[in-house]
Amino acid sequence: MNIDTYAVTLNNALNEIKKAYPEIKKSFIFTKEGSIVTGDQETDEKTMKKILESFENLKEKTKTIGNLTGFYITGKNGKLMLSNIKDMYLVLATSENADKLHIYSITQVIIPTLLKTLDTIAPSIQLTPPKKLVVDTPSGLFADDSVQIDTEILRECNNGELTENTGPPVHVKAALTADQNSQESIDHVQIETFGGNSTLCNVKEVNDQKLKGKNMIRIPEKLCKTLKISEGDLVKVKPDL
Amino acid sequence: MLSKKAKTDVEILQEKLQKIKDQEGIIGYILRGSESASIDLKDTKKIVEYAILSSTAFDAGSNMTETLQMGEVDTIVVESEETKILSMNINNHRLSIFMEKSVDHNRICRSLK
Repeated sequence: MNIDTYAVTLNNALNEIKKAYPEIKKSFIFTKEGSIVTGDQETDEKTMKKILESFENLKEKTKTIGNLTGFYITGKNGKLMLSNIKDMYLVLATSENADKLHIYSITQVIIPTLLKTLDTIAPSIQLTPPKKLVVDTPSGLFADDSVQIDTEILRECNNGELTENTGPPVHVKAALTADQNSQESIDHVQIETFGGNSTLCNVKEVNDQKLKGKNMIRIPEKLCKTLKISEGDLVKVKPDL
Repeated sequence: MLSKKAKTDVEILQEKLQKIKDQEGIIGYILRGSESASIDLKDTKKIVEYAILSSTAFDAGSNMTETLQMGEVDTIVVESEETKILSMNINNHRLSIFMEKSVDHNRICRSLK
């Protein structure tokens, strides 16, 4: 099972829950590491990111009393429930008169059972946030439109992605690792800026020794302009497998 | 006249808090107004951390309700494995009550309204 299958399964569940319980206005799931897994079709990414940002700050401060297991808000026009289920957090925004039994069945029965089932099918699933790298722009002529990343960093990115520990190991591109037995390759990476711009581009091993072993990504100037970023900015990078 | 009424309301609230504080499982409370604050916590070493947590809970609650257009915040509950916090706005004061997880925060909430 890959990341998409996992997310699609949960996405289907959230959409079906929303149909069955109209009092659910928005719902989404993210990991304890802060990666959004999926949300129902009416919850946009901007909303999810804003909620997640506030939550991450709260989670940090809650360490004073232990690990955050739940966060509940009653507002004048609705309720927000953020519950810890296994290694995930489920966010439910409901109308003010949402049925407690419905909420209980979603947070304590349906989603936990589904996560348990997914865990049984694909044990040791790990979702981690994309690698954050510092942008470096090459001076002089740059031969092509590929970005350059150190092999080790790319390997770390790869290990951080959703993989099945029981399945065959995923290797980075043979050309990068000199591993002739590679079964899967990374020749593209998804780059996302903190401003919300993203693109898929070719990736090559960095050829500048000064950048080896550093959390840096060399991006051609033209691509930097497209992504509206400049040297020294942080970007999120994940391999496109 | 208005300020005298407000002061009376706060005094009533503090009386209620004194009673709540003595209940089993209550760790303490922080009541913060625009000009003053009263803090009563069993573990005085954690006053700063608890005050920051209380403030962060209010900020997170406010940001999230604004994002989701849920209107003004009525109550906020933050839960950890063993402890929870009930936060609410009363008479223009921010109140956070720290308690053990087993305490019925709904009952406390009702007694304060």
